[in-house]
Amino acid sequence: MNIHPKTPSTALLPLTLTWLGLCLLTVLSLGLGRWFHGANWLPLLVAVIVWLKGMMVAHYFIEAELTHAFIRRLLKVFIAFAPLWLILTGFFGGQFAQWALSLLRG
Amino acid sequence: MAAEAVLDTDVVREAEGGRIPGNKGMWVGITCEFVEFAVLFIVYFVARANFPDAFQQGADRLSRESGTIITLLMVTSSFFIACSVNTMRAGLRRQSIYWLVAGLIVALGYPVAKYLEITWNLAHGINGESGIFFTVYYYLTFNHLVHATWGILGILWVLVRHLFGGYSAEDYHGLEALASYWHATDIIWLIIFPMFYVLA
Repeated sequence: MNIHPKTPSTALLPLTLTWLGLCLLTVLSLGLGRWFHGANWLPLLVAVIVWLKGMMVAHYFIEAELTHAFIRRLLKVFIAFAPLWLILTGFFGGQFAQWALSLLRG
Repeated sequence: MAAEAVLDTDVVREAEGGRIPGNKGMWVGITCEFVEFAVLFIVYFVARANFPDAFQQGADRLSRESGTIITLLMVTSSFFIACSVNTMRAGLRRQSIYWLVAGLIVALGYPVAKYLEITWNLAHGINGESGIFFTVYYYLTFNHLVHATWGILGILWVLVRHLFGGYSAEDYHGLEALASYWHATDIIWLIIFPMFYVLA
């Protein structure tokens, strides 16, 4: 029998630090959007910040590491989904559009 | 004593394959919510790939302040509700209620901020027919608002139950189910925010 020693938390400090981190990353991403307006690598940086914020909520607020494997995978896949698309369309958007058009035209 | 009972229950749950925060029904709902938004995100990315100029220019016309305020409201209410769950686990019922009330008040700021944003948009000539970027922006953000409204109604329901002693350190599954839904809705907004307000 594999009994994991971790248990749900009753502490508020990790939640408070997570909240502060999320607020800081929100303001930071807004600043980055303004300072590096139009930069080619901006979608990559934004994707990393989105993924990081999502994982922070999953890890500290939902305590994903204690949950059933399905919930853990669901959160990981969903949180990675949009950032991956963000990177793909940021760097290969034109090619995606061409493929979509050629698919539609048969 | 109460906290020990919860810990024992969770050790047993872990032995069975991991905890289910709240209940299975809520996670079925959250899975459906994620699938729905994943489809909507695909529509966004397909539109972005086909109309890059519209998406480059669109974000500049939106109120970034509104997007930032909504993000901070969502993150803060999520934090307060997580605190409500943790204090309930510790057996601090009164504190848990206070955190939940704080979470509700902050969450109510979201529809208010959204209303002000839409008013600002309309005053600046931005509506659903202003172009592909704004069409996608309206349906995605309105859809999120609908999900958040269900969450706010859920918070109200859980608060009423909490006030009447519906939760304890041994049984707080309803509170945790609501918290899980609200955190999931928060994650979705954290993805939507840069799509429309940051990337220009």
